[in-house]
Amino acid sequence: MIMIDTFRVKPDGTADERRLELLRRIAEMGGKITPQANPGAEHGYEYALPCNPASDLQFLARRDYLEQRFFDRVSLCPSCASHHLNVREICPGCRHARLANEGLMHHFRCGYVSIMSEFAIAADGSRICPKCNGRLHHLGTEYDRLGKAFVCRQCGLITENPPVEAVCLACGAHTPAEDMVNADVFSYVLTSLGSAAIRRGTLTDREDELLFIADAPIYRPAVILEFLDYEMKRLRHCNTEFSLLLAETSCKTADDEKASLTSWLTRLRQCLRDVDLMGQLADGVFLVILPQVKREAAEGLRQSILAEWGPRLPFTLSTIEITEPRSLTQILAHRGAVREAA
Amino acid sequence: MSGFLHYFLSAIDPTANLGFSRALPELMSATYVPWWLMYVVPVVIWFVPSLVCWLVYLVKPALIRRPLPAGEPRAEPFVSVVIAGRNEAASIGQAIRAALRCGYPHLEVIFVDDCSDDDSVAIARRAARSVTGSRSDTDRVRIFASPRRNGKASTLNIGIRMARGEFIAIIDADSAIQYGTMQHWLVPFADPRVGAVCANIRVLNSTASLLTRLQEIEYAMQFTVGRLGAARIGILPIIPGIGGLFKGEILRRVGGFDTGLGDDTDMTMKLRKQRWKLDMSIDAIVWTIVPETRQHLWRQRMRWERNMVKIRLSKHRDQFLLGRYGLANAFVALQLLFIRLTLPWMGLIGLLFITVVYGPLTVPRLLTDVYCIYLIFLLVKSLIARDLAHTPQPTNFWLLFVFPFYRLMLRVPVMYAQFCELFRIGAKHPYVPDHIWQEIPWW
Repeated sequence: MIMIDTFRVKPDGTADERRLELLRRIAEMGGKITPQANPGAEHGYEYALPCNPASDLQFLARRDYLEQRFFDRVSLCPSCASHHLNVREICPGCRHARLANEGLMHHFRCGYVSIMSEFAIAADGSRICPKCNGRLHHLGTEYDRLGKAFVCRQCGLITENPPVEAVCLACGAHTPAEDMVNADVFSYVLTSLGSAAIRRGTLTDREDELLFIADAPIYRPAVILEFLDYEMKRLRHCNTEFSLLLAETSCKTADDEKASLTSWLTRLRQCLRDVDLMGQLADGVFLVILPQVKREAAEGLRQSILAEWGPRLPFTLSTIEITEPRSLTQILAHRGAVREAA
Repeated sequence: MSGFLHYFLSAIDPTANLGFSRALPELMSATYVPWWLMYVVPVVIWFVPSLVCWLVYLVKPALIRRPLPAGEPRAEPFVSVVIAGRNEAASIGQAIRAALRCGYPHLEVIFVDDCSDDDSVAIARRAARSVTGSRSDTDRVRIFASPRRNGKASTLNIGIRMARGEFIAIIDADSAIQYGTMQHWLVPFADPRVGAVCANIRVLNSTASLLTRLQEIEYAMQFTVGRLGAARIGILPIIPGIGGLFKGEILRRVGGFDTGLGDDTDMTMKLRKQRWKLDMSIDAIVWTIVPETRQHLWRQRMRWERNMVKIRLSKHRDQFLLGRYGLANAFVALQLLFIRLTLPWMGLIGLLFITVVYGPLTVPRLLTDVYCIYLIFLLVKSLIARDLAHTPQPTNFWLLFVFPFYRLMLRVPVMYAQFCELFRIGAKHPYVPDHIWQEIPWW
């Protein structure tokens, strides 16, 4: 769920300027900033910027000035949050790390199974079964290898799937792999809102920028998701069904295409009622919430738009009727737009 | 037809013949039946040991039902529970969970999958995770997925090689160890001469069908009470693969099980030949799923019988030499040879002989008399089983009237399997993979 409080934050001027400067630096770097590996950095990655901008980048991403993209996941020590971990397989019995990966051998004739080193090598190169003293000449017909297994050199235990443990090189804590803390590292891409803020020289010049994406009468992703959440609540409590009109386009990159897209979005907005809510879910994915509209009426709207603009329309339109509370992922799953929306 | 029926029913008509009381003298006085063979031998072999066992239990219960050691708790030895299975997705989760939660802390479970086609490994890992909370192997559970099908014996050997325990429990993948069992299972090992202890096998799915109810009665009378009596006088013939606890050093020293069928019989024979004492703990309960359909039951019993002939009469035929492995071993061998092989065939041949010599109406009359006598034994033995092992359930006692027919029905596959095995007809068994079969020297 989106925190609506984030739109009411009024950051102080100094922080505002610092973040605006950050946006400018990102714009100078080509509109994208990618973390660089550095063992000395807090989580093993740092951004090529003079100060540590992680919190500012997250702040700007939360307000859609930047788009956050997954870059890597770092495992951290739960005790001291250090990423300097020595991760290795250990013996499940004695917890020692001295494991050897050995093959298990199986003699068909007597059924004896053991690690390969227990089968002595005869003068003719064959192996000798310690149980029946039979000679093992032919792999596959007389004996077989049962895959690899880990043998603990400390206690002799054999395991196929040993547990993984991390030792923190900073504090010395031993942590099972499943208990390690993970931190995601992101790259950031400048959005149209961020570009507009750079051009204008301020982050929060107009109040409506907190709601709408730049230069278009459509709500920002965070806002439209909040509205969608609200409609779901109305459906749950008041049983007011509604429909969604989904517009998807492949025009994402070139500026002239973006301008054209904005023009089309403006015209699409004019076809809708005042109570209809139009917003952007992700690049190229737009959502119109049609409150108290059934599927037939939504389908009629879609048909009339298609009839009016025909093949010139740069969107593919689809309608979804919402009759029971569902998550956005469920709603969009069959449209194949989940990944982009996420 | 009605005359025949009347003749047949008259044997069990109490008003006409006083039923059972008539059967015994009639049999004894019949010139065509060696009465001692029909009466004394089964009584001595099948009935008297159980009766003696029960009488001893009444006088001195500790001799039969060994109590847990009193006083200060001793150091509990480490036990490895080895489970081998193939395509056991339906039951392996329960088997692993039951073993881990059997109330014995010093225990590890090792499941070795014999290249299953189903989700056995995934389900086993899920079951292990539900108890240990770990996705990987832990000090309590290890799971090994064999990349190639090798048969049960070799699969068990993988588990034995992986086991760390001072004692190794072998159970089937469709079995479940009851809570508190392990403590009782270990009690007989206080005697250092004991090499293995068999558990009390109970039927988990006894309510599934009429066949499973009958098997529950059979398990209680034949396996529980029968083996208990045999164990106390040192002639326990088998440590079953469903639930057997072995000294780890013995299994390691003999190099595990030999390949092929009848791994449990073979291991029992090896232990007996090495003069290890075999025991049974009636309070060490392992629940198992028995066949629910006639086809499955027949297949199981044919497999058991073929194992008996292959292992006892072929591979370990030297046990019949009286001076070599001791009197008890020779007695066990002769007893099995007589009861399981000779007597049924003698009975069948005798019936054919009587039919030919004395006429066809003699046989139903004779069988009815035998049925009446058998029923008396059954009733007493089931009461003994009820007192010792709490089975059969009182609601199932009426099944005793059906039980002789169930045993008779089982004679068909058993004798067929004996015939096939003795004359080497269809010796190859699908339970053993081809590449193993071709290498086994003694089949």
